[in-house]
Amino acid sequence: MASTIPGADEFTSRPVPREELLRQIPPTLPLHRIDERQAEEVNALTYEVVRHRLWAVTQEMGETLRRMSGSHVVTESNDFNFSICDELGEQVQVGAYNVGLIGSMDLAIVWTLRNRSENPGIEEGDMFLCNDPWIGGGLHQNDAAVLAPIFHEGRLFGWTTAIAHQVDLGGPRPGSFSPSARDVFGEAVPTPPMRVVRGGVLQRDVADAWVRRSRLPHMVGLDLRAKIAANRNAAEQILRLIDKYGADTVKAVMRRMMDDAESRLRDKLRTLPDGTWSAVGYQEQSGTGDRDLHALHVAMTKQDDRLVFDFRGTAGQTGVINCPYPGLRAGIVFTMLPLLAGDIPWAAGGLMRCFEIVTDEDTLTNASFPAAVGKGPFGPAWGSGNLVAEVIARMLDAEPDHREDVQSICNGTTDLCVVSGVDVRGGGHKGFVSPVFDVMAGGYGAQVHHDGVDTGGRLIIPSAKAPDVEMTEYLYPLLALWRREETDSGGPGRRRGGMSGSVCYVQHPDQSGDMSLVVSGTGKVANQNVGLAGGHPGNSQLDLVVRGIDVPQLAGARSMPGGLDDLGGTVEVLPCEGESTLGAGDALYLHWQAGGGYGDPLLRPAEDVREDVLQVRVSPDAARNVYGLVLRADGEVDATATEEARAVLRHRRATDAGLTGAALAPIGTPRPDGVRRLDDNLAVEVESRTVICVHCGTGIGPLGKSAFVEGLARREVAPTEAGPHIWHDPSVYVDADVVFRQLCCPGCLTAVHSRVVPVGHPLPHDDYRSWA
Amino acid sequence: MSYALGIDVGGTFTDAVASDGAGRIVSAKTPTTPPHREVGVMRAIEEIAAELGIGVGDLLAETDFIAHGTTASINALVQGTVAEVGLIATKGHRDSIYIMNAEGRTLGRAAHEIQDTLRQRKPAPLIPKERALEVTERVDHAGKVLVPLDEEEVRARARTLVDQGVEAIAVCLLWSFKNPAHERRVRELIHEIAPDMYVTLSSDVSPRIREFSRTSTTLMNAQIGPRLRMYLTPLQKRLEENGLKGPLLVMQSEGGTITADRAPEHAITTVGSVLSGGVIGGMRMAEQLGHRNVITTDVGGTTFLAGLIVDGEPVRAPGSVVNQYPINAATIQVHTIGSGGGALASVDAGGNLRLGPQSAEAVHGPACYGNGGTRPTNTDADLVLGILSPRGLLGGRKPLRTDLAREALRTHVAEPLGLTVEEAAIALHEVQNAQAGDLLRRAVVQAGHDPRDFVVYAFGGAGPAHCAGYCQDLGVREVVVPLGPVASAFSAYGLAASDVVLSAELSDPSAFPVPPDVLASHYTRLENDLRRALDRQQVTFKEVTMEREVDLRYSMQVNELAVGVPETGFTERTGDEIIERFEERYERINGPGAGYSEAGVQAITYRARAKASLDFPVVLPDVARADGPDPAEAFLEERPVCLDSRTGFVPTPVYDYARLRAGHEITGPAIVDVPTTVVVVPAGVTGRVDRLGNLVLSYQ
Repeated sequence: MASTIPGADEFTSRPVPREELLRQIPPTLPLHRIDERQAEEVNALTYEVVRHRLWAVTQEMGETLRRMSGSHVVTESNDFNFSICDELGEQVQVGAYNVGLIGSMDLAIVWTLRNRSENPGIEEGDMFLCNDPWIGGGLHQNDAAVLAPIFHEGRLFGWTTAIAHQVDLGGPRPGSFSPSARDVFGEAVPTPPMRVVRGGVLQRDVADAWVRRSRLPHMVGLDLRAKIAANRNAAEQILRLIDKYGADTVKAVMRRMMDDAESRLRDKLRTLPDGTWSAVGYQEQSGTGDRDLHALHVAMTKQDDRLVFDFRGTAGQTGVINCPYPGLRAGIVFTMLPLLAGDIPWAAGGLMRCFEIVTDEDTLTNASFPAAVGKGPFGPAWGSGNLVAEVIARMLDAEPDHREDVQSICNGTTDLCVVSGVDVRGGGHKGFVSPVFDVMAGGYGAQVHHDGVDTGGRLIIPSAKAPDVEMTEYLYPLLALWRREETDSGGPGRRRGGMSGSVCYVQHPDQSGDMSLVVSGTGKVANQNVGLAGGHPGNSQLDLVVRGIDVPQLAGARSMPGGLDDLGGTVEVLPCEGESTLGAGDALYLHWQAGGGYGDPLLRPAEDVREDVLQVRVSPDAARNVYGLVLRADGEVDATATEEARAVLRHRRATDAGLTGAALAPIGTPRPDGVRRLDDNLAVEVESRTVICVHCGTGIGPLGKSAFVEGLARREVAPTEAGPHIWHDPSVYVDADVVFRQLCCPGCLTAVHSRVVPVGHPLPHDDYRSWA
Repeated sequence: MSYALGIDVGGTFTDAVASDGAGRIVSAKTPTTPPHREVGVMRAIEEIAAELGIGVGDLLAETDFIAHGTTASINALVQGTVAEVGLIATKGHRDSIYIMNAEGRTLGRAAHEIQDTLRQRKPAPLIPKERALEVTERVDHAGKVLVPLDEEEVRARARTLVDQGVEAIAVCLLWSFKNPAHERRVRELIHEIAPDMYVTLSSDVSPRIREFSRTSTTLMNAQIGPRLRMYLTPLQKRLEENGLKGPLLVMQSEGGTITADRAPEHAITTVGSVLSGGVIGGMRMAEQLGHRNVITTDVGGTTFLAGLIVDGEPVRAPGSVVNQYPINAATIQVHTIGSGGGALASVDAGGNLRLGPQSAEAVHGPACYGNGGTRPTNTDADLVLGILSPRGLLGGRKPLRTDLAREALRTHVAEPLGLTVEEAAIALHEVQNAQAGDLLRRAVVQAGHDPRDFVVYAFGGAGPAHCAGYCQDLGVREVVVPLGPVASAFSAYGLAASDVVLSAELSDPSAFPVPPDVLASHYTRLENDLRRALDRQQVTFKEVTMEREVDLRYSMQVNELAVGVPETGFTERTGDEIIERFEERYERINGPGAGYSEAGVQAITYRARAKASLDFPVVLPDVARADGPDPAEAFLEERPVCLDSRTGFVPTPVYDYARLRAGHEITGPAIVDVPTTVVVVPAGVTGRVDRLGNLVLSYQ
């Protein structure tokens, strides 16, 4: 951390060893602590009973927030979270809502302990309000946290936190995200912890200062009360638990829950191969007007029972695509928790002990003040999360017992489009601001044994939801011409990625004038929703305004436009980061992201492709050109013609890769003995440490230093070769040349790696230390 | 003489209860006979007639009404054995039922499952996409037609579906609850092509905002409606041929009945009929015992169900979830957790004792049954603890194997945790009680109530062994274990004792308060609808009462709270009075200071409920009285039992329920053996037999 602004670095929080943190807390704040012996003394029975109660208490926090909140983000989309923490902020239990927030809640408590203990003090009945992304308790200024200390007999026993995304907390643009911000001073104001509740009483002056900054003061005020109520209810129940079992016992259970989660994750890590896996991804455009790609790097080293995430190589902070350190941690937990710890209770404090972070300063993912960070969670943090998901999946794929946990990347980020204006329906005049939430229905990545879930939601918010169209039309003066699953959007693969969808809005007939749009999204050219083991990426995100459509506001319409081709008008492609307007005669089209495929699409059983065509998940054209499926006139699979079509596609790969004349190696059954599988296609011969293709047995090259990659056939062709769901003209968005790159077995030409990347993107370089 | 009959067709047994309105109640239990369930129903009626010593014809000729509940529809939905149906949706919005608001992965799932994203998938689609078709039309949020219905297109779509051989068609258009004209016209056009087609309109089945759950409800209604009709029509015919005097009524999830000829049209409202029967039974017993607030718990082999009765009325919910699909049909709220008597115990990799949610029932039953089950259950723990006798249940007809129970506990719990077998058993027993206690507390508190104002009724084979334990932390006043003549057919009793309840609602989202004339017009319309529906029931009602409700929320909130609306005339003040009620209830649920009137209030749905009581008292009879409180005459034996980890095994008296009389008092620790269950009376608890033969446990 090296802010150019003297004094700014005081407002940052990093993990601090417990002993050091204890030294920094003044004696005027007595803590409830137990020693190691007490922690071990709790019997199995009491542990179970108290653990179940704490679990139930956290679930109720979520229900209280949802029940009371006024915010679409909370009630319809579940972008919030909450936790119960010990006296030093280690997280004992968290919710299954926005997972990334888990990476920041403890940091906010640590900062509060270090900076608020003496003045104004931390006392019984207090709560602190915070939305400073450098301090934590949230990942950008829209995330507002309420931190509540719990006291028992005058000692600080623990904390509860409740955090929710607020639609608007001020700043120059509706929705608080500004794609043209030069720095954080062009965004919503970050606020370090303020005592919003004192002695149990909501402080009117603080609350007013808080809501005054927002374009939606009522909504923000309601959510503030919801968070206070959730904390208060949780505290009451925890104190009831303490009355019954004693504070020391409850604390011992809390400690053991974290220890237990830690040891279960470490046990799992020990069963996985050692090595280093790395991945590189991009943020497209750093702000309005930019035309560059900005690289994110992660290299994950797994040794025995610990993980190290090394983010060095990530581009320096720039534009609006930055996040501070809590966002970097969020990037890890976003995907690490669902993918490695889905079956372990989320006593997150214990899980967080299992990894270390290596990072440069002043980068996209570890930005210093005053970088613009409003896009942090859905820009660089989510982008890093995709890379973390990718390296975890590759590690899991190499361990047969864990292949069922392998998942290609889900929708690479959100498709943010904030619509604002004045609702004049029925003679009213009420300002409104809202992101379009249909985009929550992203596609999930394919797994080894399953297709990805179609319009399944978000990996990083396991219980994500999209609102009903009727609810959106009731709340805002818009009409949805359609909202549907998009054919071909799911990444092609042996297992298909889950489909995404699209929505098309026009203004309600009673409206007039323009609405403002703020748009942001990356994955329009260099797809973030990558496929694994040769699976293709999911669709390119595409956001359009169609100007001057044939049926403006459906006035006098006798028919409903069924797709972009029916709309008429002229298309304006919205940039990755920018602003626009939606006029009365225009239509807004958002096509958000699907999940990546898994395995080579030419290996997908023909019957599965046929069923996809019947259920409109894959178009007949894509079935033919991407999957090589040929149907007979009666609609049944033509097996012979399909084989031939697939051979033609393999030959084309060979030709593109410069392999001419050679016959295709026949695809057979995998070799059973003496090899260890690395993924769907590759295995390593244990004796020779040579990588072979499991489909045809062709030897490819040495595993060590990823030397075999040089032995793979490589083709780099136009992006649309990956399928009709990939955007055809990268130059609309960026200056870089973008290609569809496939690496294939030189024998049978099965794809082992299929990416849409800029020319010069590094080749895979993984170190399978267990066998190399 | 005249009779009321309650018939509960469960998955395994068909239960029947007849009451003569003069204090005599008899019950019968016969096997359910799928797929021709009416056979089992007729057999149950024969048994009832035999029990009463009269012929079936005589019984039916004097039967004022039969109230019927069946699990067939819900089982069909759960197992997917339903009619092939088609859907007609608004152009551009067919995929609502596939997108499922993205929440299809997690709807109805437990928190620990939701967290495990790699294993959460959407359920199989309700219908394949080739049977989900779109028609051109558009209505807006205010009910105004923006694009007229393309009738030619509707005809073409209908023909496509008919050609595909569908048995029913569901129609769900956007905003149809605001303006049902297009849906109604679609039905007319379908009937022009296929006059007998079963057609369900979303504006009839579920006139409520939110198209996903409305479509889901309408589709499921179409899936079960035709088959319910195929079952009820011959049953009704058979009953009428046998001389049934009164109507055949079908219980709804909401706790009232509708006539059998109308039930198929509203099939989705009957899916919870049997569960509701149990809560209604509890409500009737509560009336007799003078309990206003009751928590009913029903612990069977696989499930633990809990319902609430507040101020004499069951707590209802506006909907439920089946197979991860939402159902918009008002229902008596039944909370479920998977820890019945057969819930499996295990120790996970982190050394945590877990109970459920998997159950042994489906496979081999508890280890002690000796049917090949090797994993320990609550029942095994209860046997090791001496709560159950090795002689087993049903008077020794089902002996239990202590050695197998001990082995299962040793292998799966005791050794992994470093406990003795007995310690493992008591740990299981107490974890079960703690889990159940948590569920009950949440159910009561979230409904805005204090458990200390309640008594608990504990039914089900596995409930009475645990109820004293799981209720202790709740702070309830008393626990009643119903043990009278209908205890084993309680749901059928509830059916016989039910009122006719109908409800109607309309969605009209707007700022609140609305002018009094708007309120008046909404409720007049709803109540007129209800009166017409009551007239169709062919029954004489003793009394009809109307209740009014409106779902309110703070502006921009999404979750609503149902608030009572005054019955008297509406004035300028009425709206404010309703808001006061809303805010009071809101703060009771969410804590003092949680209200935020600055944000303004909105109304979403208006609802009226008609409760029509049948002129027929279904009263539980008194049992014989004891001379004094000493239960010595019912003493069976003394055996070592462990009910508390702190005291361990202590010699504990066991009493025979058959010899207990009203007025007997049992001081814990003690066990009461009943043919179908075992009641545990722990130390510090007194059990008293009340005048209906129930065992009432109270804490000292």
